Amino acid sequence: MALWRRSFPVDLADEGRFSRREFARFLALVSAGFTAGLGYLWLRKKPLEGAPEPRGQNEVPVALGLAADLRPGQSRLFTFRDAQDRCILLRTPMGELRAFRQTCTHLGCAVRFRNDRLECPCHEGFFEVERGFPIQGPPTRPLSGIALELRSDGTLWAVGDLPKPTDLPARAGAACPRILPKEVEA
Amino acid sequence: MSRPHRSHLSDAALVVALLILGIQVYLFETVLQSVLDGQRALLPGAFAASLVLTAIALLLAFKVPRIDQGPKH
Repeated sequence: MALWRRSFPVDLADEGRFSRREFARFLALVSAGFTAGLGYLWLRKKPLEGAPEPRGQNEVPVALGLAADLRPGQSRLFTFRDAQDRCILLRTPMGELRAFRQTCTHLGCAVRFRNDRLECPCHEGFFEVERGFPIQGPPTRPLSGIALELRSDGTLWAVGDLPKPTDLPARAGAACPRILPKEVEA
Repeated sequence: MSRPHRSHLSDAALVVALLILGIQVYLFETVLQSVLDGQRALLPGAFAASLVLTAIALLLAFKVPRIDQGPKH
């Protein structure tokens, strides 16, 4: 007889019968744990680490200088809400201005603008610059976008958060050689 | 040795409990990802759905006295 069976002398039939009920109880308690977790997320007022603050709070526009100073393919760093809220302003090769938080949605490294896309040097994650979608590497969520405002005097201002995009743009595949066009279309 | 049928749980009940836990894992992962994206609007609905699932799981685990006849002696 095995040592564990001598240590726990439970009849095999009883063992099966009771363990099934107890296993169901364990499953139910784990399920209750998930419910408690959701309740905690619901009641928690402070945003989770990495999550943007609710819109409308601390929306103080930040001046980013003259829009004409930034040429296609160039970028500039700035801080938005506080010194820790690091963002990157860039002009795409198509000439459009975009701004994103620098925090990679994978593990929080700072992304940089290189070769017409945003790259995270820590784990080789890449994001397209139109809407901040991940196109290669470990990140699965898009970057937080910053809303920009071009004023009549030619100055550019960061004015708030953009809503997170949810649909994959068709051109994301073109920016990433590892994504086949069929995968993007599917 | 006599065994009370009261403790026996059927295969169906166990499968339902497992299914509920699977749904809970998927629900929690999805909601957490949405919250990290700044979308908190679905939290009340997700919590209510999770509460119902947990109630069913608890009912199955603690209150269902006997779903089938249990093993024959």
